[in-house]
Amino acid sequence: MRAAAGTPANAYDAVVIGAGHNGLIAAAYLARAGLRVVVVERGEAPGGCAATEELWPGYRVDTGAHSLTGIDPSVMNDLGLVEAGPGGAGLEILSPAPCVVSPQPDGGTLILGTDPTRAADRIRPFSARDAARWPDFVAAMSRAIRALGVLYRTRPPRLAGASRGDLWELLRLGVRMGRVGRREALELLRLIPMTIEELLYEWFESEALKGALAADGVRGICQGPLASGTGYMFLHHMVGAGGVVRRRRQVRGGMGGLGGALQRVAVAAGAEVRLGHEVASIRVEDGRATGVVLAGGDEVAAPRVVSSADPGRTLLGLVDPGELAPEFVRALENIKYRGVVAKVHLALGEPPRLRSGGDAAQAAVLAGAAITIAPSIHYIERAYDDAKYGRPSARPVLDAVLTTALDPSLAPEGRHVLSVAAQYAPFQLADGSWADARREALGDAVVGALAEHIPNLEEAILHRHVLTPADLADRFALPEGNIHHGEMTLDQVFFGRPVAGWARFRTPIAGLYLCGAGTHPGGGLNGRPGALAAARILGDGKRRQD
Amino acid sequence: MSATNAYDAIIVGGGHNGLINAAYLARAGLRTVVLERRHLVGGAAVTEEIFPGFKYSVASYVVSLLRPEIIRDLQLARHGLEILPLESTVTPLPNGDYLGRWADHDQTRRDLYRHSPKDAEAYDDFATLMYRLAWAVKPLLGIVPPDPLSPGLRDLKTLLMLGRHARGLDEQQFHALFKLGTMSAADYLDEWFESDPLKATMSASGIIGTFLGPRSPGTAYVLLHHYMGEIDGVFRAWGFARGGNGMVSESIASSARSHGAEIRTGATVERVLTANGRATGVVLEDGEELRAKTVVSGIDPKRTFLGLLDPEELPDDLVEAIRRFRIRGSSGKVNLSLSAAPEFSCLPGGGPHLRGAFSISPSMDYLERAYDDAKYGGFSRRPYMDIVIPSMIDPGMAPPGRHVMSIFVQYAAFDIEGGWDDAKREAFGDAVVDTLSEYVPNLKDSILHRQVLTPLDMQEELGLTEGNIFHGELTPQQLFFFRPSPAWADYRTPVRGFYQCGSGTHPGGGVCGASGRLAALEILRDLRRRPRGPRPGHQP
Repeated sequence: MRAAAGTPANAYDAVVIGAGHNGLIAAAYLARAGLRVVVVERGEAPGGCAATEELWPGYRVDTGAHSLTGIDPSVMNDLGLVEAGPGGAGLEILSPAPCVVSPQPDGGTLILGTDPTRAADRIRPFSARDAARWPDFVAAMSRAIRALGVLYRTRPPRLAGASRGDLWELLRLGVRMGRVGRREALELLRLIPMTIEELLYEWFESEALKGALAADGVRGICQGPLASGTGYMFLHHMVGAGGVVRRRRQVRGGMGGLGGALQRVAVAAGAEVRLGHEVASIRVEDGRATGVVLAGGDEVAAPRVVSSADPGRTLLGLVDPGELAPEFVRALENIKYRGVVAKVHLALGEPPRLRSGGDAAQAAVLAGAAITIAPSIHYIERAYDDAKYGRPSARPVLDAVLTTALDPSLAPEGRHVLSVAAQYAPFQLADGSWADARREALGDAVVGALAEHIPNLEEAILHRHVLTPADLADRFALPEGNIHHGEMTLDQVFFGRPVAGWARFRTPIAGLYLCGAGTHPGGGLNGRPGALAAARILGDGKRRQD
Repeated sequence: MSATNAYDAIIVGGGHNGLINAAYLARAGLRTVVLERRHLVGGAAVTEEIFPGFKYSVASYVVSLLRPEIIRDLQLARHGLEILPLESTVTPLPNGDYLGRWADHDQTRRDLYRHSPKDAEAYDDFATLMYRLAWAVKPLLGIVPPDPLSPGLRDLKTLLMLGRHARGLDEQQFHALFKLGTMSAADYLDEWFESDPLKATMSASGIIGTFLGPRSPGTAYVLLHHYMGEIDGVFRAWGFARGGNGMVSESIASSARSHGAEIRTGATVERVLTANGRATGVVLEDGEELRAKTVVSGIDPKRTFLGLLDPEELPDDLVEAIRRFRIRGSSGKVNLSLSAAPEFSCLPGGGPHLRGAFSISPSMDYLERAYDDAKYGGFSRRPYMDIVIPSMIDPGMAPPGRHVMSIFVQYAAFDIEGGWDDAKREAFGDAVVDTLSEYVPNLKDSILHRQVLTPLDMQEELGLTEGNIFHGELTPQQLFFFRPSPAWADYRTPVRGFYQCGSGTHPGGGVCGASGRLAALEILRDLRRRPRGPRPGHQP
């Protein structure tokens, strides 16, 4: 093999695979610490799942994630992501005030925002009791989310075969949790295995309210709201959300702007970003990573390889299996992905008009609130029932964001883009594969479900574009279309992410690290895996390499 | 009404845990009385002759987890407990075939091999790992859960002991435990096996008593229970008590009596009497008052805290925790008197398989669909069933040539749409008989009598709130120091002298008896020492 032109043997200290947000964040941290870093990305644009594409002339569509809960604030600050001017990345994040508009089959419409008092007013027509309990719910969940946040700012301590150093780490984590409060920590421990149905049942009686909240408990997992761990999933999405209702934050110019800003930050720190280069394999010599080989045969040598690709693709796809122990390979093969999300993108000639909910609901949609179709826990569970037997939901759970509401520049004057995440669409169908006909049937089901609440929708559609889980898998290198690089069920988070025993960003191959959403604390565009992996790599650099 | 003060300890509820508790207290010299509402003791572990000549293990029907130290300490064998082995589990399949697992290891291997050579190979490795894990988890069954909120010296010692124990596990065991604690039975078994009937039948043990399907996370843990069952020191055995499961209760009662305990049936406790934050006795439905400094409840947490006491006497956070304690029933029971031995079409004629269990769990989807039917408020049209024919194991259960059949059925929601009534009960019974007839063609014609218990019946007749057979769902957030509520998981309550000893406390249900024993040991400890100081959340 030959060295790539212009790259002397040890030009780099680290090569990062993939320019998704986690890869770029890891690269930025490493470069800032003085490492010579190169990021290699197969696509032509940085950002991974945070992608904006001009699907039709003048329409810029967020084809992957269509909202941002929040890159971890400490990462934002460290990297100066939102700072304007030279030095700063100038990322502009748009935050809608109302969060969710949830139309009901009987004509009611629930609007939820982050202001607890106003939210209580909106809940009152559905249940006075629930309205009264809402502020307490917000307070209780906020405490649990704060405690979870502590766990999210550190790598999971090693428990099995713990050394003295590991126990010290565990103790420090214990002290930090203790600061949040013993009662709060215990409450978090109680909430984590809960089903979202159970968690909400303890507080509320209104199906409308429970449905709207439960939708976040099942996001990206092939489980219904009656499954253990969906309570945790709900809390996961709220870490960094600044409330208990997820605000669909957007990036000015489209979600792709996030990748651009992160690339600027990384480059400013001294990293090199090479787009349009696919990594074909990771080179391993004597059990140690020595660089990557590109699809064209060029080689990029570096003593550290940091992969933001998912664990399976990295370790089963890019590494020679002979380098890994069979039990480890088996554990990787057993990772559950099971993508269930599909995307439908609609170009609209006029803004969607809701059948019910009046001016308030209409105003909320036009201010960037998501239209959520999840009117009850049982509605979501029935949608899951279909997926359980390998069928797309006949009546799917939807999260639709009018991206042009906050940023009209995303479409031609007067036109709109409605981006819809639909669940459940199982990657693995019981009969056959995701052929064109099924893609269109999925699009029809999604539009049909929305049109029940948006009478002008079908007439307003100028263009339609559907991405099945199989399409998402191809487009964004998502394993089985899973938006989190691995199902975030309880066995696959914390100590179990990506696999038990290897939850701390290292791999059995010295110098090879994982930094993507498939590692702790998982997906959702929060940037924590990238930052934590960088800290681990820098920590290892201080010590002698093992 | 006269108030007698002849007792040191009063036990509310004569279920197996109440009886075990009483036996241990009486053995330590306490003047003890058990008060049971029904005309017989045993709670859910009773044998009744509902139809003349035919004896039903009305609810609970097999023995597996009953702690060996209890069998020893209370000399239950001497008091009439004889456990007969259940030899096999056969899963009849819709295509006329079957999957069998037998006491004879080689026969099991041959049977599995027929379905999948790969599974036959994996089965032994799986069993070895699970057996090791069962040993690793076992110590938990014998300890009092520590108080996580304001741990005392003893709690810290327990935690340290657990930490040391955890460190003693090797990584593979540790990771397997982590997975068992979090995964669905289906996913866990998928990592090992490929045969659908095998996976379905094995996962069935993970769904018993829960309102979850085999694909619901949290069901893998219970797979361990199969390997934890211990009879006379023999692992992995399910057994049948000669005379029915009522004999488990009868033998404990006999042991308790031999130590001087008094057992009163037909005595319904209305309330626990308290004065200055202390229990002073109980008052019965008919107004009779009994006095004792120690009162122990063997009934479920809802009835214990919200029924026997006035919630005003309890801290608000405990009342709230008990109100939200999940206790949904999911199962029913059908008992049949038969004029002839059942003929399974997959294994016609007699044979040793009739002395074993039958599992109607032909596929994972079958179980999931059974769950789907119930989760929206109904019962399974084609249910999961665990069946034994007690008269085949113990001929004394039915007249010569006749038989009794015990059918555990899942799923049936307690809060079924429109509520349970006679018509729905019979429809539920019909679904069971119709489904089973597909595998046992001579069943319908040989039924002499049918007893159907819905979750509502189990609540009304056996005192199980919402018909939950474990006194509270066995989900992680309701186990160990959460059972039934943090700070009150050590069998004590905020009312001094009032204790809990039922399955709603650690380590939970399954006729294992550990709750009754551990509570007794805590009570004896308190009586020998000064009670502990004020406790968190305690309002005097």
